[in-house]
Amino acid sequence: MQDKKGYVSFVLHAHLPFIHHPESDDYLEETWLFEAISETYIPLLLNFQKLVEEKVDFRITMSMTPPLLSMLDNKLLQRKYIKYLKRLIELSKKEIERTKYDERLNKLSHYYYDRYSNDLHVFKDIYNCNIIQGFKHFQDIGVLEIITCGATHGYFPILYVNEKTVKAQIAVGVQTYERYFGRKPRGIWLPECGYVPEADKYLKEFGIEYIITETHGILYADPTPVYGTFAPIVSPEGVIAFGRDLESSRQVWSSINGYPGDFNYREFYRDIGYEADYDYIKPYIAHNGVRVHTGIKYYRITGKTEFKDYYNVQWAKDSAEKQAGHFLDSRNAQIDNVSQYMPNPPLILCPYDAELYGHWWYEGPYWLYILFKKVYYDDCNFKLITPSEYIDKYPEMQVASPCRSSWGANGYSEVWLNPTNDYAHRHLHVAGDRMCELASLFPNAKGLKKKALNQCARELLLAQSSDWLFIITNGTMVDYAKKRIKDHIGRFTKLYYQIKDDKIDEDFLKDISKKDCVFPDIDYMLYY
Amino acid sequence: MPRKTKETPEIENEAKKKVVKKAESKEKTSSKKTATTKESTTAKKVAEKKETKKATAKSSSTKKTSKKEPLKSTTTKATAENKTSRKKAVSTKKETAKKATTKASAKKLTTKKTSKNMDIVEYYDLPYRYNQTIVKILAQTPTTLFIYWDISDEDRENYKKQFGENFFETTKPVLKIFNDTMNYNFEIEINDFANSWYLHIADSKCDYRVELGRRPIYNPADIGGTDYVYISSSNEIEAPNDKILIDKVQNMVYFRNVKTNQLTGRSFASLSLLRNMGKIYNIYDLYKELYKDENLYNPSSKFF
Repeated sequence: MQDKKGYVSFVLHAHLPFIHHPESDDYLEETWLFEAISETYIPLLLNFQKLVEEKVDFRITMSMTPPLLSMLDNKLLQRKYIKYLKRLIELSKKEIERTKYDERLNKLSHYYYDRYSNDLHVFKDIYNCNIIQGFKHFQDIGVLEIITCGATHGYFPILYVNEKTVKAQIAVGVQTYERYFGRKPRGIWLPECGYVPEADKYLKEFGIEYIITETHGILYADPTPVYGTFAPIVSPEGVIAFGRDLESSRQVWSSINGYPGDFNYREFYRDIGYEADYDYIKPYIAHNGVRVHTGIKYYRITGKTEFKDYYNVQWAKDSAEKQAGHFLDSRNAQIDNVSQYMPNPPLILCPYDAELYGHWWYEGPYWLYILFKKVYYDDCNFKLITPSEYIDKYPEMQVASPCRSSWGANGYSEVWLNPTNDYAHRHLHVAGDRMCELASLFPNAKGLKKKALNQCARELLLAQSSDWLFIITNGTMVDYAKKRIKDHIGRFTKLYYQIKDDKIDEDFLKDISKKDCVFPDIDYMLYY
Repeated sequence: MPRKTKETPEIENEAKKKVVKKAESKEKTSSKKTATTKESTTAKKVAEKKETKKATAKSSSTKKTSKKEPLKSTTTKATAENKTSRKKAVSTKKETAKKATTKASAKKLTTKKTSKNMDIVEYYDLPYRYNQTIVKILAQTPTTLFIYWDISDEDRENYKKQFGENFFETTKPVLKIFNDTMNYNFEIEINDFANSWYLHIADSKCDYRVELGRRPIYNPADIGGTDYVYISSSNEIEAPNDKILIDKVQNMVYFRNVKTNQLTGRSFASLSLLRNMGKIYNIYDLYKELYKDENLYNPSSKFF
């Protein structure tokens, strides 16, 4: 193990916005969480478990955002997920009957029946309905490093005009992490990798050692880092920045020839929710009768035409194995090349959205599993490492200020600030200022006023989620995103006046506290 | 993505829908779903219509609304709208809840009319403005600033008192942009129909701030002989950097041990750092060349 020439660090960013509607069963957006649990989080856990059982020494890093943790820990959503699984199991049972006419299809129906039944078993019997325990376990045994994120994934490069709102995002991110993992996070995934140097002092204040940045966060740093993205840098304030490697990203991500486009892989867009006979599928689609994804998909990508062949689980696995081999060879070659120019072994940082693995790229978790096995067993010039381990091993790094940047399209703030969503920012800024005003007007409040002030902080944080702005830019489900901004700003503003006029409506406060029940321990004095 | 989302119904329909639901759950009838889906489909259409109207009105009415009595805040607006909706909600309730026990409905209608309904009917719209004098700037890209502004009614009145009743008709708004790093400034003319602006700037990685002011349209004499009236200043921001700062390479490169905080300076030449650095940065150049047509940024971009 001593003679490894370099290191590879996988960082998966697991995030979903806080979606919790106790008032109704009609919100389709709640199923995002359920799909992500079944397609990404449980498959990752199962593959980690397999690796541990097979005694494969591996390392992986994941950021788990506070809204995601809050939802995974939410009793109502846990019950709803079980209901979701039971419906899918019922549907796949029906599918086994319906597809008897075709052996290949029938085999797939059985596959889905087994898979969703196993999800239910894993969720209920192994993790007792709370899969956070699973991730915590792998962190505790040392193969997984979990890092935190901003409280609600608020985008720092726009929020920082009021620095206290950035401070609160960081503080609540760290507190939520401690609540679930029983220790302090060493690293943070900056929401959207949005870096501003103004956040450094707060990152330091709350004990954060390192951040993940986009490639040009390092390449355009001041002064220019001599080792590019192949070594971390440290900012003058003392925050360490790891930059995304371009080549490995491209292999997984490229829309033109990235791995997930392999013709043997499962086709995301063909789902029986859209294709099955309407009366047959109606109980399993949206309440209002709109066709949606069910999770049962029978086709593979096949090619670039509309013609799609049936999915074949074994073929897909073969492709994943081939691609894992390709990834391994590419990293070997890359590290051979780069290590000649560096005194320390180079680090290749590979950050991705966790939900790419499994949700978009159905075979992604299996690909990771095979890759990690290959790294361990095959002839390979690198080792897997977490950013924290790298820091501990090679604590000397170049001093440079990372560049203001993000990982969104074109690398700066266009995704979260453009003519489709720029109307929102003045409201978010005013609400941020008003929150600070409330904290200074009513410091250390008690009783009902304190409850109301804390709820104000929750509403502000929920309004700041970068997801709403992203969805508006993206152009799908825009109404829901706009409604969420309106609702949280609306609830905040109403409470703001009630607190100032000393006329807090208890029923109203109770109602919204039930709906927006994130961060039970929040303290509004963060904005003081 | 072919995923569908729930439409956001406008206030009246939202109110109706919720009341219908409530009444029915009391009755425990089985028609719950059909009733609500119907409601929401009509709601959809109305909502769509209303939204397009609003959007067009908004873009052209900034000046108008600001001149009129402004909406003080969301709450005033929300309560006003809530009132109307409550009325409607009550009337629908009457119709749909006929079967419900008279006691219950009577009680609701009389005693809980004002405050209790708040947790049933929740509808918000964003305020048009906050009635504050403000200029804020943000960096959208290294060479594009986003600027938004407003002038409070109180300040408007003061300007009128000071420069004459027609101050806002005889002057036009301008933005002065200051580059404090390179020490230059320039001015652009804007108009009173806008309340925000995207502005191209030439130099990335510089500190910027913006000043909002007004200049006479015709004759400085119209506003007492001055040719510029200052209104407000923005926050200061640094536009992001957009290039490798290779020309800024210094003689010394500093390394810090993050465990001991020891700082070590190394001469660039002595360590053949320059040669190696060149090799490493060649890799990026090669990339730029190879993949110039691909967007290498996060294309998976979330779940939705």
